[in-house]
Amino acid sequence: MIVKISMRNNELITYLWAALFKCGKLAPAIVLQLVVTYTAFAQTDTTRHLKEVPVTATPAPRLQTITPVQQIGNKDFARYSAFSIADAVRNFTGVNIKDYGGIGGLKTISVRGLSTNHTAVLFDGVQINDAQTGQIDLSKFNLNNVQQISLYNGQPQDLLQPARSYASASVLSITTIRPMLTSEKPYQIQAGIKAGSFGLINPYLQWQQRISNNWQMVINGNYTKANGRYKYKVDGDGSDTLATRKNGDVQSLQTDAALYWNKNDSSKFNIHINYYNAKRGLPGAVIFYSESQGQHLNNNDLFIQAGYQRLWKNGLQLLLNSKLSQLKTRYLDSPYFNTKGFILENYRQREAYQSVALAYHITNNWDVSYSADASYTKVDADIDKYAFPGRLTILNVIASSLKLGRWQFQGNLLNTNIHETVEKGTAFQQRSVLSPTLMASVQPFANPDLKLRAFYKNVFRAPTLDELYYFASAERTIKPEFVYQYDIGATYSKNLNGVLQYITITTDAYYNNVHNKILAIPNRNPAVFSFSNLGKVDIKGIDAGFKTQTIQQNGWSMLLSTNYTYQQALDVSNPENSTYKQQIPYTPKHTLALNAGINYKQAGVYFNHILSSGRYYAGNNLPEYFVPGYAVSDASAVYNFIKGKTPVQASLEVNNLSNKNYSIIRSYPMPGRSYRLSLQITI
Amino acid sequence: MKQFQLKTILGAAMILYVLSACHKDKINPTPEVPETGVYVLNQGGITHNNSTLSFYSYASKATTPDIFSAVNSRGLGDTGNDAKIYGSKMYITVNYSSTLEIVDARTIKSIKQIKMVDGATNRQPRYVVFDKGKAFISSYDGTVAVLDTATLTIDKYIKVGRNPEQMVISNGKLYVANSGGLDLSNPDKTVSVINLTSLAEIKKIDITNTNPINIAADAYGDVYVIAYGTDYPAKPTLTIIDNNTDAVKTTADIDAGYGTSFIVNGDLAYYLTDAGKVKVYNVKTQTVVKESFVTDNTSIKVPYGIAVIPETGQVLVTDAVDYTNNGKLFAFNTDGTLAYSFTTGINPGAIVLLKK
Repeated sequence: MIVKISMRNNELITYLWAALFKCGKLAPAIVLQLVVTYTAFAQTDTTRHLKEVPVTATPAPRLQTITPVQQIGNKDFARYSAFSIADAVRNFTGVNIKDYGGIGGLKTISVRGLSTNHTAVLFDGVQINDAQTGQIDLSKFNLNNVQQISLYNGQPQDLLQPARSYASASVLSITTIRPMLTSEKPYQIQAGIKAGSFGLINPYLQWQQRISNNWQMVINGNYTKANGRYKYKVDGDGSDTLATRKNGDVQSLQTDAALYWNKNDSSKFNIHINYYNAKRGLPGAVIFYSESQGQHLNNNDLFIQAGYQRLWKNGLQLLLNSKLSQLKTRYLDSPYFNTKGFILENYRQREAYQSVALAYHITNNWDVSYSADASYTKVDADIDKYAFPGRLTILNVIASSLKLGRWQFQGNLLNTNIHETVEKGTAFQQRSVLSPTLMASVQPFANPDLKLRAFYKNVFRAPTLDELYYFASAERTIKPEFVYQYDIGATYSKNLNGVLQYITITTDAYYNNVHNKILAIPNRNPAVFSFSNLGKVDIKGIDAGFKTQTIQQNGWSMLLSTNYTYQQALDVSNPENSTYKQQIPYTPKHTLALNAGINYKQAGVYFNHILSSGRYYAGNNLPEYFVPGYAVSDASAVYNFIKGKTPVQASLEVNNLSNKNYSIIRSYPMPGRSYRLSLQITI
Repeated sequence: MKQFQLKTILGAAMILYVLSACHKDKINPTPEVPETGVYVLNQGGITHNNSTLSFYSYASKATTPDIFSAVNSRGLGDTGNDAKIYGSKMYITVNYSSTLEIVDARTIKSIKQIKMVDGATNRQPRYVVFDKGKAFISSYDGTVAVLDTATLTIDKYIKVGRNPEQMVISNGKLYVANSGGLDLSNPDKTVSVINLTSLAEIKKIDITNTNPINIAADAYGDVYVIAYGTDYPAKPTLTIIDNNTDAVKTTADIDAGYGTSFIVNGDLAYYLTDAGKVKVYNVKTQTVVKESFVTDNTSIKVPYGIAVIPETGQVLVTDAVDYTNNGKLFAFNTDGTLAYSFTTGINPGAIVLLKK
């Protein structure tokens, strides 16, 4: 085989290249290949009960936190024409969703110019971990069962949380719907169906049941099937006809059962069992003059997660979380010109996780906490010369928060230990890394509307198991990646009595300094693909957001939110490189997201617009490597009514209103205009 | 860069204009562009559809970065692997797009694009060589296609070993290196011999070491094959085959960098090492005669492609730098000093000389 291009594993190299082009952020597509993913759940959409709609004044969203936070609740998903979590968070400031297009296409989140590995995704407070790829595909998370999604820069400000929540540059937290049933109506069933473009059919069901005074239960089921086809225009091959994206079919089943126990709110327990099964075609990159050659990915994931929280009168709080998970991935590339005629790879990642957190309220203004997490991950794969790594990670955190007049201070120190075992090669070890975080906020005037905040956070990222061992023919010496995050910002939030109910303005300026950035280094010899620490990146940016909502007048109300992101992310690895001081790949300098809506009684019409400036797909910022910017709009309409005695919600969503031909990742065209119709009843 | 492009486009437009004029009148033959220089086929990155053809003009010392798309208003596609000129045409194999692009060697105007497919399956063309009006194209599907350069149609596919790579013609026979490289743990280890009259495989020579990729021939009846073995680090060997008996004469270790071409020019052969050196080998004595051809302090980070200008003895070496950004071409005088260099596209794999 040779080299120059070709390889042993087509996909592998493909991915590798993709990775490279992203400046070493692990190739998205690798994820597709290997990924393991977790799951998502099921069911039901918003719980917008008609009787509840009326007239409560909406207070300003709570944004004046010590670290920046952005939130979206289940009532808002339709406003953003969102189908998956990736769609729901793409308007957030500082967020760059890398979307490979289509309903089954990989969607990962990058926050403030950092690779996706630096964003932890939490499911009801417990991290969805993928030690193998370090990336979570957000397209797999259906919104039907989601109550709220929050994105924290730095970390959530709670002291009582698992140590893992302290360990990333940012945290994307997904909270599922919890039953709030009374003895008069001890159950609630929501059933719905979404259907539309790409041959999408998505029926779902949620059953909430009150079992006793203390016990409640939720079961979700969600089935998605789509052929994934859409028309797109190929740029650059001289053709002017539309082609059809093929082999993007998806079939998935997500189920989640949860039990909640609650005693006087001083002690709570919950347990989830979650199963996800998906079969997907991977359409791959659009290659000029060539039809897509089929690759397929199957996922089979199961996890059980339990949490217990206890609050004592003396101010002591305890939080226990446990999780067992298994992610199975099967990747098929056929036809392939080896003796077998195809490539078939199976991966199994299993993890056991235990977390203990203790918080103590020493005085009115002083809290301390301690958290310890232990996890053990084992990856098995039937690929050539695999190392079969096992990784034991132990995290310890002490944290404290102190309020002094108008000042609030918070700080923590995280200690990370990693011990690995391998059957082949040398295992990665990491003894005792200390990562400090310091945060402060102040209310400068007597009026509480304006607050200032700042944080410094040091983030340690261990290499993923793929970076260390995936086709590691040659031994790799990879150092962990470090990010030094600095943020300073202001929030202004005012509840008003006029036509507007409130306005909020937030703005943060940040500086992220990445050291030892892990980069995938290709080699001519396809058997060798190596990773090493070459990179240094300086990221300077501004996040700004504005949000307002009118009061309801004669049944009418309006809302508006807009977010702006500026990112300058420069490669400062080596002054001798041609990429020195050039913007890293796939990082737009300017992004503007606007969302506006009008509600009239039980109906609403919403409009969403995203504008991204151009980006480069290579480290050389040359015109030939430019990916043009884009502006896309979505619109949706929601109508709630009562049929007989049954509340019904109907909605229509249109994505890419102007049928714009664009792509976020080169060679992965995004779909043109598409439609989705949803109908949901609540019993 | 913009200026270059503009120039290219203007130049291309003029050429097109002239050409189209010719077509209409059918009086004048295509005027010769008096330029000579070097084409570099840049592979680009896999899945990026950014394979390009750079042209460096000896006269103006200027580089046109993407002459193919400037002239043809479309890209070469994904991962151009080999390009060679035969007669007035250049033949370019594009691996992932699975096409053979046939263009006018001087104007780069597309003459024909052949899709190398077997039903719906891409054959993945790799290398091209020529003999008596025929082009032979190796493809990863285990075939060598025979193309008639007069009609520009493929007459035949000859079945060879697994994932064939480079080919060479010697003593009226075509020798094909069967790499089997897509089987990571079980590569091929044979060289197919094809009779150029019957256009059939007459023998598979077992060369013992696995993963043969590069192949060349000298004027003294020897065929040179570099194979890289199954494991990493690679253990490259140089096998010499007698082109009369088609038997292996010798096999010895060689410090060839993975996938380097072995360029024979008279009694000397040139190859690249992983350490970035250009080595010179004497095909008569079968010994390395120069450990490092480069005598000045030119540093080649990732040696990628190599060519020798037979008339002047100048050695051209491309540098892939980091495999993800623009590369370079270095031209060395016979004394090993740098004559000139220019920036290429991403992964400059093949070098083609445009002569008068």
